[in-house]
Formats: sequence, structure tokens, C-alpha cells
Amino acid sequence: MQQNLKAATFEVMETMFFLFPETVEEVADFFRGPGIRAWVPVNGPQLFRVGLTVPLKMAEEMTANLLGEDLDSIDADKVTDAFKEAANMLAGAFLTREMAPGSVHLLPPEAEFLNLEEQQFRANTTHLLFAVDNYGLEVFVEKLQGGQNNRMAK
Amino acid sequence: MAYNVLIVDDSATMRALIRKVLKISGFNIGEFYEGANGKEALRVLENNWVDIILSDVHMPEMDGAALLQALRSHNLWRTIPVVMVSTEGRREVMGVFEQLGIQGYIKKPFKPEEIRAKLTTILGETGGADATELEGCDF
Repeated sequence: MQQNLKAATFEVMETMFFLFPETVEEVADFFRGPGIRAWVPVNGPQLFRVGLTVPLKMAEEMTANLLGEDLDSIDADKVTDAFKEAANMLAGAFLTREMAPGSVHLLPPEAEFLNLEEQQFRANTTHLLFAVDNYGLEVFVEKLQGGQNNRMAK
Repeated sequence: MAYNVLIVDDSATMRALIRKVLKISGFNIGEFYEGANGKEALRVLENNWVDIILSDVHMPEMDGAALLQALRSHNLWRTIPVVMVSTEGRREVMGVFEQLGIQGYIKKPFKPEEIRAKLTTILGETGGADATELEGCDF
């Protein structure tokens, strides 16, 4: 699962945003100030979510690059929409690589703004941490309560 | 010949991105039309001729499958080529759309050249109706 999540991350970041994440040992300094988290709930035999978290400044730059617009024209709505779409692509790429059955459905993406310094960022089997230039990128798969039944999705 | 394109996606970012990619691709585009879901797409079609539709799969109110079914059951719109542009890459899911008669599929994330290549292939094969040739038609 970890390899598929990593590969999906590279696929989305490189293809859509022309960014090349690097795995680093210590990332605390890369998650500072305001940030944005976007995720896609995935419903199937299990309910889980696939998403990403980045500093807001990085999100704004990524949105500007994606749309080919000046940074000045990027507002919260554009950042939110772009990051929901990034989460959508990440989840889709991940599920494709996991060869999830058709009974596993992507639900509409969600996003929230947050203070990164109030969050804990630790790499483990379900949370991957990367550095992109001087910013942090967290990518995660988290199990949620619920789902169609109790069987494992994969 | 310029082609009119309808982009259907609930993400304004993705609509803008596809539009940008098509503009810089060198593909001869006439008019761009947009819809945030299938219902909006059908409203666009009531008043405008389009040569190709690029549609997302997962959308609120009316999703890509429902849009495709509506198009295929309509006398005039049934022949409009439809390309699904979606994060869905699973064969099992996309097989449903192939049965509904899509002309192609582009998986997000995509490279700009993939969209141009797909449109060139499809409009080249189908010819794509020219909006000017349809002037005076009763819709």
C-alpha cells in the first residue's frame, strides 16, 4: 500500500504540478503557519480517506502554476478547488494502483484550512512525508468509521 | 475547421485547466462551453452545437453516466463524441462507460499532449460537425 501511495503521489505532483517531492528524515521545519488539507472519502468494504496536507503558501503557488495565473489572483476558493481536485487525482491514482474493485467508490472531496503548528506530522505506514522545495507535503490514507461492511477492501 | 468544445466538470479549476491545455495545444478550437454537471451540460446543448464533449465521471446532481445516457437517447446529441476525463482508471468502472459508447478516456492526472492526441484521433475519425454547416437547423 505504501509503495502505491508513494507512486500515486509522484504521479499527481509531477504530471499536474511539475513538482518533484523528496523523502526527507526531518520535516518539522517544512510545516509552518497556515495550511490546507484536502481529502477524498472512499467508501467500500471499508470507509477510509486519501488526502494531502501542505502549507498554504505552497498551495497558492501550486494553484497559480496549475491555472497559469498570477499569484495575486489566487484566492481561497481557487486554492480549495485546486486542492480538492489534487486529492481526487491522488485517490484515483491510488485506487487504480491498488486495483480496488468497482464496489469501492470515491466520494466528493473535502478540504479544510488549518494551522500546521497545531498538527503532528509523523511518517508511518499510512502517512508519508515529503519535502517539496522548502515546503512540507503530507500524504495519507486513514481509516474512518463505517463502510459498506466489515470486510477489508484490499 | 474550428471545433466547439463542451467541458463538463464540477471543479472550476479542472475546467480552466482543460481549457488552457486545449488553447496551448494548437488544436483549432471555436467556442468553449462549460458545465459544472450533466444538467448544466444539457442546458448548454439546448442552445449551442458542440463537436465534442469532455466530461468528468463523478459530479453532483447529474453524473457522467447519467449525462451519457441522456445524450445517447437524444436524436441530435447521440452522435456527439464524448471523452471521459476522470480520476477513475479502474477497468471495471470505465467498462460501463465504454458500453454506453464513449469515444475515449483520459485519466487524470494527464499530460497536455494526451488531450490533444485524443481529440485529434476522435475528431479526425468522426469528422466532427462544423457549427457553420448546421446554421438554420431546427434544434
